[in-house]
Amino acid sequence: MRLKSFIVFFKTKAIITVFFLFSTTVFAQKVVRYDLYVKDTLVHFAGKEKRAIAVNGQIPMPTLTFTEGDTAEIHVHNQLKEETSLHWHGLFLPNKEDGVPNLTQMPIRPNTTHIYRFPIIQNGTHWYHSHSGLQEQIGMYGNFVMLKRPNDPSFRKGIDDLPTLPIVLSEWTNLKPENIHRMLHNANDYPALKKNSVQSYGEAISAGHFKTKLLNEWKRMLAMDVSDVYYEKIFMNGKPSSELKSISGNELKGGDKVRLRISNGGASSYFWLTYAGGKITVVANDGNDVEPVEVDRLIIAVSETYDIIVNIPADKTAYEFLATTEDRTNSASIYIGIGIKQLKSSLPRLKYFEGMKMMNDMMKMNGELDDMGMAMSLNQMDMNVVMYPEITGDAKPKQDDNDPNRYNANALGDIVTLNYAMLKSPTITALPKEAPVKELYFKLSGNMNRYVWSLDNKVVSEADKILIKKGENIRIILYNGSMMRHPMHLHGHDFRLLNGQGQNAPLKNIVDVMPMETDTLEFNANIEGDWFFHCHILYHMMSGMGRVLSYENQMPNPLIPNPKLAQRKLFADDRKFHFMAENDFATNGNDGMAMLQNTRWSIGSEWRIGHHVFHGYEIETHIGRYIGRMQWLMPFVGFDWRYRKFGIDEQETNLFGQSNSKDLRSLFTVGVNYTLPLLIIGQAEIYQDGNIRFQLIREDIPITKRLRMSFMLNTDKEYMAGFRYIVNKNMGITSHYDSDMGFGAGITFSY
Amino acid sequence: MKSIKLLMAMALMLSISTCFAEIKNAKVETVHIYGNCSICKKTIESAANVKDIVQVEWNKDTKMAILTYDEKKTNQDEILKRIGLAGYDSDKFLAPDNVYAKLEPCCQYERTGKIVAKIEDVKTVILTVEEKVVTPILTIKIQGEQLKEVFDSYFAVKDALVKTDGNLAATKAASLLNSINAVKMESLTKDEHAEWMKVMKDLVFDAEHISETKDAGHQRDHFTYLSKNMYSVMKVSKQETPTYYQFCPMANKGKGANWLSKENIVKNPYYGSKMMGCGKTVETIN
Ligand SMILES: [Cu+2]
Ligand SMILES: [Cu+2]
Repeated sequence: MRLKSFIVFFKTKAIITVFFLFSTTVFAQKVVRYDLYVKDTLVHFAGKEKRAIAVNGQIPMPTLTFTEGDTAEIHVHNQLKEETSLHWHGLFLPNKEDGVPNLTQMPIRPNTTHIYRFPIIQNGTHWYHSHSGLQEQIGMYGNFVMLKRPNDPSFRKGIDDLPTLPIVLSEWTNLKPENIHRMLHNANDYPALKKNSVQSYGEAISAGHFKTKLLNEWKRMLAMDVSDVYYEKIFMNGKPSSELKSISGNELKGGDKVRLRISNGGASSYFWLTYAGGKITVVANDGNDVEPVEVDRLIIAVSETYDIIVNIPADKTAYEFLATTEDRTNSASIYIGIGIKQLKSSLPRLKYFEGMKMMNDMMKMNGELDDMGMAMSLNQMDMNVVMYPEITGDAKPKQDDNDPNRYNANALGDIVTLNYAMLKSPTITALPKEAPVKELYFKLSGNMNRYVWSLDNKVVSEADKILIKKGENIRIILYNGSMMRHPMHLHGHDFRLLNGQGQNAPLKNIVDVMPMETDTLEFNANIEGDWFFHCHILYHMMSGMGRVLSYENQMPNPLIPNPKLAQRKLFADDRKFHFMAENDFATNGNDGMAMLQNTRWSIGSEWRIGHHVFHGYEIETHIGRYIGRMQWLMPFVGFDWRYRKFGIDEQETNLFGQSNSKDLRSLFTVGVNYTLPLLIIGQAEIYQDGNIRFQLIREDIPITKRLRMSFMLNTDKEYMAGFRYIVNKNMGITSHYDSDMGFGAGITFSY
Repeated sequence: MKSIKLLMAMALMLSISTCFAEIKNAKVETVHIYGNCSICKKTIESAANVKDIVQVEWNKDTKMAILTYDEKKTNQDEILKRIGLAGYDSDKFLAPDNVYAKLEPCCQYERTGKIVAKIEDVKTVILTVEEKVVTPILTIKIQGEQLKEVFDSYFAVKDALVKTDGNLAATKAASLLNSINAVKMESLTKDEHAEWMKVMKDLVFDAEHISETKDAGHQRDHFTYLSKNMYSVMKVSKQETPTYYQFCPMANKGKGANWLSKENIVKNPYYGSKMMGCGKTVETIN
């Protein structure tokens, strides 16, 4: 990858030896120092020159390596024009070193240096990333490796002494991440178009799934994919494809084993990991050793880490290690060994309509999910298998609807897929028995249509901190009542995931919870502070999917001089309004709308400007608040202004016989929007002059991949129907018929 | 006459220009791609071609392909990788085994590019090195390794039957035969040797039968006995990682049948995808 800025690598290791005069033994404490220079850069990753952030001139950020017992001293020099921060993912450290801006420290201001300093008291594969805004998406991720001391009793021969390569996975998009975030909140289906996953009525009909699509919309669902964002490139260590021919000077040959330390630094992508040279042996997860387990493939959730061992079966051959996005649209490879490249077969395209059918079965009319009596947990049942041709075949699934194994990939397919129940810690991980237990229950909640993600239907800024006491055993039960999977991450602690392995439950700091799954995790509260617990999908986190766990009666954090200000800045993330606008320049007039929306509020204006006064000018403005978890209901207040030249004696009457003859109208209004089955929005409105209006609107019915249909009718005897052909993400060609303005055709610009 | 010639020349020029006008920054290369017939040709070319960017012409007699591509937009590796993923080896890429296996029978070209895992070579090296250090523990380990080949070949047969792939099962059974014959009995432990003598003839018999047919049903009949005998050897042989003895009550016409697996997850070799999860682990052999 070509970076514009010059590559400089700064690393100094300072060894400070401290002598304890009163002790006969000599302690050597090693301070390992890294200097990180964070700087704007231009990259050319996918055909266009785009802004990114490089650290020490590179993307990903440099791999930081320590040995357990060292002290880390990391100097972060912020040379950006904006604030930044670095979070040490999965590390045990004092709260003020955790790197969450406005929670554990104030942001690192431009042109200043911040020093993180903490002892390394654990070992394993971890990573680090920016916790500020959306910087993680554009380059701020890197490996963070902590080695075992050679005399560590947990040192595993044949594992910990293998040649090793750290790999950080990531994605790249040419769109600005702020723009992606905005588009997600506006249910823009452009990413689906790029991924060929629009799932329109036309495509449904030709796949024999018209009823499926109709039922899906009847249940008020928009077409879903397993991921939301379209990425142009996937990287392993910053490259879509690379070769691993030697490790620390030793050439790789047939019979060698290689350990890969893999972190998923992607902002929103899960990856399937597969290998052309045979089985994959999993030896650690989230930086904690597990009993070796052989599998054919595994999925790595956003921000998880896995240590795996792969064999090189023969000489003169390089074997492809492949990371494929969960939606299977893109992948990155690394060829391990020297010689002709043995490929791994790529994962076949998802059977989207089978997925839609599965969702229909699960979704109740009230928007709740129904697991139909299957207690699901630990990724053992993967509902998405109905979409995987390599597990359920190319055509319709042959499993019957009552087969208890119909979502169990390991029972259906001829390959072994890792799930959490297969992870077993080599050591006993039980918590202190005498400690009091505090149980917390969270329902992961969300609304795909409006891209609202929350816990118990509350975002960070709407909920209080959760108080816990030092010494308590905290047990957290998570139920995912939303339609997407969420990788939930706890800062500062490892938790045990209760997975049926008893005393040897694996230690983790991320748990991926699939829709309708319930998972239980527990940890001993042993280090005070304010610790973030959140979904690690960047765009979910920024929408407010998280909580702060706060120790009671803790010492004030010296890096947060003004807690009130810090909190306000922290809350600003999910309170943010997202803007969208659209205008149709048509032969019969000009109509459009602009809208500002956040988690609960919507401020929007719609206008219609005819080409002459008989067609009229009109602008309606509504301020509304979304109610309930599904946000189907929105009461609003508004203001309506209209000018239209009537002829003499001409007047308008609505269906209720109420009439209106004024050329100029300006009226206040109150009303309510409600989303009906088939995603039709019903609107009831009463104006200050007593006039009443009912209206039905449905916009953007997907007819084909690129063709959308809309219609509207109301009790003022107005109606409209139209088509829009999507040219690109900002432009469409439209034609519509409008009761006021007649037939027209034009071009729509949208933002 | 003149005008006809002119017309033809013009048409020719036109066709040439339209041919080449499609791909900008064109680079032309000739590469070797394995394959047999005209079905191969179709598969190779449709996997490789991208409108306005890549045009590939493969000759089934010479096995050579002419790649014409837009240098600014793609490269040879990308094209050959796509061809590889469609099942065809080149000098740079080997197709995935499962994709190759799904090619039409007439397309199953000879895979001379593929290097067979030379685990034996590596092992002999280990043997010569370790023979110098004669300690009982090490010799046992080496002997375990001897049978390991046999067990690994057995697992390959089992995996093929899990996939209900009679072709693959036959080839894997043939290599099982080889590894059975390669066992040096003098280097087995006493227990291993005793057990080996008892079952070796039957192992050979069943492996032979599996290798001689492509009918998975017939193979499965023999696999029942093969598994039983393999189990009795496995019981007395020390291996590095555990093996799981699994049982399906429905197999063997309802009499039930066993098999051995490296994974503690049931993948039924008697039914494959028909009843993949049927059965359970009845014993863990350490
Ligand atoms: Cu993180
Ligand atoms: Cu999430």
